[in-house]
Amino acid sequence: MGNKQTIFTAEQLDAYQDCTYFTRKEILRLFDRYRDLAPQLVPLDYTSQPDVKLPYELIGSMPELKDNPFRQRIAEVFSEDGEGNMTLDDFLDMFSVLSEMAPRDIKAYYAFKIYDFNNDDFICKSDLEKTLNKLTRSELTEDEVRMVCEKVIDEADLDNDGRLSLEDFQHMVVRAPDFLSTFHIRI
Amino acid sequence: MSSEPQRRGSREAYDYDEGNGYPSEQHALRLRWVSSRASNQSYPQHDLSSTPAEENEEGDSGPPRDLRAIPLPMALKRAVRQVQQMQVPVVSSRQSWRRKRTKSLHELKEKARESLYFFTLWRKSLQKIGGNFGGGVQSYFLFLRFLVVLNFVSFLLIAGFVLIPSIVFRSAGTSLINSTGPDECKVYDPNSQGLVEFYKYFLDLLSGTGFMEYSYLFYGYYSNTMVENRNVSYNIPLAYLFTAIFYFVFCLICIIARMGTTARVAVATGGSAVGNYSVIVFTGWDYGCQGDRATKLKQKNVHYRLQVDLEEESRKKRAAALTLCQKIALYSLRVFMCFVAFGLIIAAFYGIFVATNFSQTKSGEEGILGLFFEYLPSIVITTGNFVVPLLCDQIALLERYTPSTTVIVALLRAVFLRLVSLGVLLFTLWDQITCKGDIDSHDCKLCQYNYKVHPCWETRVGQEMYKLTMFDLLVNIALLVLVEFPRRMVVDNWSSKLAQWVGRQEFVVSTNVLGLVYGQTVVWTGALFCPLLPLINTIKFVLLFYFRKVTLFYNCRPALKTFRSTTSTFFFLVVLTFGWCLATAVMIYSLAEIRPSMGCGPFRFFPSMWSIVPTSFYRLSTITQDFLFFIGSQAFSIPLFALSCVVMCYFIALASVYGKSVALLRAQLKLEGRDKQFLVKQIEKLSRQHQILKHTAGAYE
Repeated sequence: MGNKQTIFTAEQLDAYQDCTYFTRKEILRLFDRYRDLAPQLVPLDYTSQPDVKLPYELIGSMPELKDNPFRQRIAEVFSEDGEGNMTLDDFLDMFSVLSEMAPRDIKAYYAFKIYDFNNDDFICKSDLEKTLNKLTRSELTEDEVRMVCEKVIDEADLDNDGRLSLEDFQHMVVRAPDFLSTFHIRI
Repeated sequence: MSSEPQRRGSREAYDYDEGNGYPSEQHALRLRWVSSRASNQSYPQHDLSSTPAEENEEGDSGPPRDLRAIPLPMALKRAVRQVQQMQVPVVSSRQSWRRKRTKSLHELKEKARESLYFFTLWRKSLQKIGGNFGGGVQSYFLFLRFLVVLNFVSFLLIAGFVLIPSIVFRSAGTSLINSTGPDECKVYDPNSQGLVEFYKYFLDLLSGTGFMEYSYLFYGYYSNTMVENRNVSYNIPLAYLFTAIFYFVFCLICIIARMGTTARVAVATGGSAVGNYSVIVFTGWDYGCQGDRATKLKQKNVHYRLQVDLEEESRKKRAAALTLCQKIALYSLRVFMCFVAFGLIIAAFYGIFVATNFSQTKSGEEGILGLFFEYLPSIVITTGNFVVPLLCDQIALLERYTPSTTVIVALLRAVFLRLVSLGVLLFTLWDQITCKGDIDSHDCKLCQYNYKVHPCWETRVGQEMYKLTMFDLLVNIALLVLVEFPRRMVVDNWSSKLAQWVGRQEFVVSTNVLGLVYGQTVVWTGALFCPLLPLINTIKFVLLFYFRKVTLFYNCRPALKTFRSTTSTFFFLVVLTFGWCLATAVMIYSLAEIRPSMGCGPFRFFPSMWSIVPTSFYRLSTITQDFLFFIGSQAFSIPLFALSCVVMCYFIALASVYGKSVALLRAQLKLEGRDKQFLVKQIEKLSRQHQILKHTAGAYE
């Protein structure tokens, strides 16, 4: 099974395999993708665990992400500093959650964080409006936006506090059959 | 660590031999754990000395899935992992053996999944299609792939049990029963032409006559012999019959298995239309969508879906606000339009009936005109299937249903049209073969079927099905070359109002799926009479996959109106089951009621196709016969029936209990939310009172 790679120690690779939904081959392939974004910044030897962060602009220019209207939020949620600058760990984490093996719960947790624009652990009306505008390229009229936001909160808010908590979101996602297949990036 | 003894003790409470699923209590615990962390900050602090219940989840170092499902950043997960590994689990050897076994099983499953992944047919194409055109179009191609695999496996089945033994034992073997019956019925001479023109080979290829008629392709070529050496004994007619029956059963099992996986998803979501908007907003965006154009289209799609839903709401409000007079007018209009649609469909059926009869009377013609007359039923069916749905669409517009109802109504009408038009064709054939059901009429009296027109009627039916299949493929190729590519070239290069109004072609999923269901129903109907038809259909569907893919990428723009992909897969399979039922009805009728031809085929000289089973049955040993009689008797079947009723009742009760507990939990969630609000208000009130008291106390000083 080709143990000839020198990028990671065997221990590191095992740790990555246990902490993500990727196999050995996939982790090495993802490392190559990460390195391709900035070959001069990313060293070929990760055995000493260098502290390398790629800026958000490079991450956002990946073909899988560059057309996604939520790419900035995705990068912010998964990055350590909350600004979108990602280390290799963050990178692997992000694609692990977005892979097809990740179960519904963890996807729902991170999807909730992505749609929570103001990071207050609730999806309130303003978060919903921002989401809608990103989804439809701001082509809905103000009236329509307002109506849709009202309807969404009506349908999903179970504890009647006018905003969606994580439980409300997860409860709604369970009833959505497409969630697992849409919250999925192939890499 | 202090929490270790607790961890060890409660580890036994969890049984990890469940394979994939987590035990439900653990699931609920994890949710609560996740939510309690979520309410702290964006990255929850990992607290190793938290309560024992939480500890037990990470404490078990068995399946590594637990670690991956924790929503922590990588560095913290690695810390947790280190902690897990540092603890030296003092467990019994049995437990450690169990844990090793689950781990190796897990690894084996992963390896198997990886290798299966490699073998999946057309994986990359389907990914590309899904990314560019969305779930609805992808579900069509997934359905097509399912049918290709089904047909190929059926062909292997038929080849293994019927074709290859027939080829091997062609000359060997003795006839099963002696030839009985009048000699006129046994006359069957398909190769009587002698020298033929070259182009006739091509015509024969398309219509299954001539050199193709007396070949392994059709029923008539198979012999009714049974081979019985010292080493091997093989009863070809029995094998033919049982393979045909098993083929149908196998297809049904495959369809139901596939329905089961999609239905499970539908049931889990409650199947209600509530949650429409939230589902569109939060799960409508496909994160796998790549490319600027695809993204813009997807955004337009989401916009359209939201608009359609809002419009349906306003339409419902308007419909509720109608006066009584207007309601009556609307309903009578709908009933009238229903009759009009029905009338159109009946007209199409009559057209098919007339065309088939006409084609029969002209069956002796030569050349291209002869080919035209041969294909006349197929031509009429295809024209009807094209024209009538167009008219039905216009009718549906007049009926002013909501958009989603319109789509379903149009689809059901088209399904009805397609399947019943096939039924009409079969009815016409039956008419001719059995002299309108009247066995004692002049033509049918001698052999109980019309031996003059159809000396080998099974081959004739097989030929009709073969022609339908070939014609379908030819029409698809012709449409691709003559309509779709030119349309795109005209629209792209000629910028006039007309061209823009016509626009690029839209890939309409439902019509294409109906075409597939129709093709598959034809194959099922014809499989008994034309054993190689599944192979021909496999090739046809493979070609169709590539043609459709080409036309999708070059000629089509994605449809603005989309079908919700999971429910529609279920709907496709339900429609496919209708087709299966039609084919099964035909098969059962031909097996039981019509007398097989005496001049050809493996069932000649038998009074019916089914009667070979009793004949072969009595050749078995007495013990086997007694055993089989016992299984069929009441002493066995009634207890078996009772037992299966009990098992079914148990599952129904279980399902209803789960449904009730889901509803109860949902209500409980609502109540807890209200309790929380009430308590928050009480706290505010009390703190205000406390403030007031403090102020008044301070004022007194």
